[in-house]
Amino acid sequence: MLHVKIPTRKEVIEEEKSKGKRIAAVYPIHYPRELFRVFNIQPVEVWGPPKTDTKKANAHLQSYICSVVQSGLSFYLEGYLDIVDLIVVPHSCDSLQGLGSIFKDFIKPKQELVTIYLPREKNKENVEFLANELKRIYKQLSQLCGFEPDDEKLMEEIKTEEKIDKLVFKFYKSRENLPLSSREFYTILRSREYLPPDKFKSILEYALLHASKGKLKKTGIVLSGLLPEPMDILDVIDDMDAFVAIDDMACCMRRVYGEGHSSDPFERIAERIVNGPPDPTKGNSFDERFEFIKSLADLTSAKGVIFYNVKFCEPEYFYHPILKEKLSKAQIRSLIIENDINEPLPQQTITRIKAFIEMIRESS
Amino acid sequence: MGVKDKIKYIFSYKIAGKLLIEYNTKKTFKNFKPPKNWRTDILAPSLRTGVYTKEIIAKHYLEGRYVSGVKPVAWVTSGAPIEILKALGFYILYPENHGALCGARKVALEISEEAEKKGYSIDICSYARTDIGATLSKKTPVGKLPKPDLLLCCTNICQTVLYWYRVLAEYYKVPLIVIDTPFVYDEAKEHDIEYVKKQLEASIEVSEKVAGKSLSFSKLKEVVRLSKMAAELWLEIMNANKNKPAPISVFDQFIHMAPIVEKRGDPETVDFYSKMLDEINERIKNGIGAIKNERKRVLWDNLPIWYKIRFLSEFLAENGVSVIASTYTNAWGELAPMMDIERPIESMAKTYVYPILNRGTGHKLKTMETMVKEFDLDGAILHSDRSCKPYSVGQMDQRLKLLNELGVAALLLEADHNDPRAFADEQIKSRLKAFMEMMD
Amino acid sequence: METVKSIGIDAGSTTLKIVGVNEEGKILFSIVEDADPKVEEQTEHILNKLKENYDMESSKIVATGYGSNLIKADKKVTEITCHAKGIYEYFKTGGTAVDIGGQDNKVILISKNGKVIDFIMNDKCASGTGRFLENTAWRLKIPMEKMAELALNSDGEVKISSTCAVFAESEVISHLSRGQKLEHVIKGLHRAMVKRITSMIYTVGFNPPLMLSGGVAKNKAVVKMLEEELGEKPRIPENPQIMGAFGAALIGLSQ
Ligand SMILES: Nc1ncnc2c1ncn2[C@@H]1O[C@H](COP(=O)(O)OP(=O)(O)OP(=O)(O)O)[C@@H](O)[C@H]1O
Ligand code: SF4
Ligand code: SF4
Ligand SMILES: [Mg+2]
Repeated sequence: MLHVKIPTRKEVIEEEKSKGKRIAAVYPIHYPRELFRVFNIQPVEVWGPPKTDTKKANAHLQSYICSVVQSGLSFYLEGYLDIVDLIVVPHSCDSLQGLGSIFKDFIKPKQELVTIYLPREKNKENVEFLANELKRIYKQLSQLCGFEPDDEKLMEEIKTEEKIDKLVFKFYKSRENLPLSSREFYTILRSREYLPPDKFKSILEYALLHASKGKLKKTGIVLSGLLPEPMDILDVIDDMDAFVAIDDMACCMRRVYGEGHSSDPFERIAERIVNGPPDPTKGNSFDERFEFIKSLADLTSAKGVIFYNVKFCEPEYFYHPILKEKLSKAQIRSLIIENDINEPLPQQTITRIKAFIEMIRESS
Repeated sequence: MGVKDKIKYIFSYKIAGKLLIEYNTKKTFKNFKPPKNWRTDILAPSLRTGVYTKEIIAKHYLEGRYVSGVKPVAWVTSGAPIEILKALGFYILYPENHGALCGARKVALEISEEAEKKGYSIDICSYARTDIGATLSKKTPVGKLPKPDLLLCCTNICQTVLYWYRVLAEYYKVPLIVIDTPFVYDEAKEHDIEYVKKQLEASIEVSEKVAGKSLSFSKLKEVVRLSKMAAELWLEIMNANKNKPAPISVFDQFIHMAPIVEKRGDPETVDFYSKMLDEINERIKNGIGAIKNERKRVLWDNLPIWYKIRFLSEFLAENGVSVIASTYTNAWGELAPMMDIERPIESMAKTYVYPILNRGTGHKLKTMETMVKEFDLDGAILHSDRSCKPYSVGQMDQRLKLLNELGVAALLLEADHNDPRAFADEQIKSRLKAFMEMMD
Repeated sequence: METVKSIGIDAGSTTLKIVGVNEEGKILFSIVEDADPKVEEQTEHILNKLKENYDMESSKIVATGYGSNLIKADKKVTEITCHAKGIYEYFKTGGTAVDIGGQDNKVILISKNGKVIDFIMNDKCASGTGRFLENTAWRLKIPMEKMAELALNSDGEVKISSTCAVFAESEVISHLSRGQKLEHVIKGLHRAMVKRITSMIYTVGFNPPLMLSGGVAKNKAVVKMLEEELGEKPRIPENPQIMGAFGAALIGLSQ
């Protein structure tokens, strides 16, 4: 157990507002944190939130739209986002495309709406396009904020993010030496979704001080999917004397981008996102995803992969059969589970996770 | 290889098959009788030019059986920029159309279960499931599908196709061209169009390599010209429904749109639609409506329910409801004016960014509102297609606006375009009845 | 008094199964009862009665099934592992084990040396489980044994398209009200269920032989249709329903 005090989203919003910052509510998944920061805007991400009552969204979205979008919209409609100044909707998938469009055409929020189109391949055309898309957003933000930060300032913010990405990677690599439950580990990690960089950095550094020589003697799991919600999934894994050794989750590892090369700040951010870890919503190939997940398993002592999929999330669904097959050829077992972030974990799901851990433990 | 395939192709397709099909068409056309069980008590006799639809489709799939090794084969998405491939002499297969055909022949479920068995979720698009199922099991009602040498996927209809085509690329091990089209929330930006243009240019090289020859620009222009002409004719056919009674129901359009999707850019397609237009004009002259007793005029939004076209068309016609405009069939005509024969690549970049499915939910509402006014409609059926999120998200707001601001009856009909498990006859009937009561 | 070395308790969603084994893993007793809401008391009651005839002083207790959290035991293991163990020790061969219970069905691939290679369970819904048939049986007031018999002897079959237990039930009623023969509809209902199971089997990858456990394996119509769908005769233990508890007891032996 580590005793770190992590402020809540609400506390962060209030504090940053009192310092004169603007707040942007950001929907999943990829977006340029740097670009918002340089305008003195604090991004606060909206992943769900889980266990939301989605009745308000039901007036706008059919039942076959995933729970992430359902609760994201309900959260707005219930008034929880009244306090923010901007709403950012990246074009991650057809459902978020729809959400962005409904916001713009029907809900018409009083806040500034920012949409981001993400290119789906990794060629130079794609990087160039994203850089242009970022320049468009820069213009939008400078109109809103009334100033135009220069390239140097933006570059500074980029470097800060690059350093944090490195630190996060170190945090992952120390996972087995940290006396943390899976829930604690991910609570710390996911505070990046709303904390200013300096605060997040000091929390990570503090946690890393507690790394010990001895390794956790538990069965390691790679958790793949959108987000570890409801977080009870982490407890179920820990209860089996296992732990999440590393993840391939959209809210976490898939956004630990590498350094960019370009000296042009817009291009550099674009490079970071386009060339970052593979993600279904970026349209990466099966081989890219397989190699990445395998490298995660190799990096740790993880023995199996759990694909924890939000029901109705098409981007993820398509990858499962072939990835499962490729992993199995590489002697890595995997399990596919479907969830609704607003519902408690069903008993069946718990049984499946337990049986999976029994299975990989038996055969290793 | 090569020679043998060619001989077989020439004999089985070019000579025997094609002639036989054409002979049959001529014969049926001459002694034209509506198909058996056609409800002439409530519907106009089926379109006589419809026999050519059958012919075009039959020839297309027959050619597909023998084409491997003779022409390069490309599998493409329904909104893909095929003009370059056409100009390079590719045989082009549309898995979505094949999927629709499986749906209409009521074998889509069986085929998609083949994909489900392999772990493809029941919650992914039923076209994708049907196609992956056909790939895995080789099951198809058309005998045999030719393997692709190239895959072309354009995201201007959805992101789903991107994943689906990745799966195909994995199974067939052939090159995949992705034309990524930024979503248009209101207006396409300059850098959006530029991005698409660059991708189109980059795709030429890959396609040429697969085809083993280089692109002739005059040929490309010719294809664009024919494409544009066919689309304009199609648009004219749909607009003929502004007449009262409306001459061609949307259910018929669903069937007869196959050539504009599958054979766009061919001279025969232009011929075909001009013949069809003549027949439609003939109907208008004689005051023949698509249904006998046109009491109410309504629009259809979203994909057809392929396996229930007849059921819906008859049930609605029995009650005097004529479905005469649709955002779906319109999609293959509305962009024709954007095509510029003199600047093929530039105009393609623009045209392919602007399909209705790549535009905002507000734009679709506007399209429907315009239809309500221009076609003088009484109601709208919005098929909420659980398979197709890009088409369906936004319908709940659109429906309310149609109802409250235009005062037309509007129904959200929950189903799926290709998966019959999402359709219960009695439930659907009771919804439609309530909708009809709203219009009275 | 014989000494019970290990006791397996399978507190399922529908029934409670208790099996005791001796040192060699031979079954000394097996009990099947409908599960009580208060399954912990029910278990204790049964165990106390058994103590009159058996020496259970040093017996290990291994619990499995839905209700296992409520039961006092030395160890708790999932049904997947228990059914796999039970089936493997019973038939002494790897292959595909299918447990069809009241609320869940599980397809388990077992390796040559008895390890679980892969498995799959139905989702939240009850399609393809015992409940799928039972709902209709209750509604029509026909006992389960009779349902199976009707299906087995039917000369025709009506297609039931719903895989959802609730919708299937109303589909059955509407077929009957339209004058379809009872046995044809019941046979169709069985077919829908068996198809669901077959597709699960193909999803993990069918590896013969097919071995059944769980209460529904006693349903002869299901067994016959599985054979028709898969082209492979299923092997069935003398009492398939106790395989999970038997496996649990065996796991206790190696503690
Ligand atoms: N003779 C029989 N013929 C037909 N069905 C039977 C017969 N005996 C039991 N069943 C069915 O078996 C089911 C119960 O099986 P079982 O005891 O394996 O379930 P369970 O272990 O409690 O459930 P689960 O594993 O899903 O939690 C019931 O649906 C019941 O109808
Ligand atoms: S969970 Fe999937 S479908 Fe839902 S918003 Fe995220 S990427 Fe889109
Ligand atoms: S039906 Fe919709 S989701 Fe499916 S391929 Fe077509 S546009 Fe995409
Ligand atoms: Mg059981």
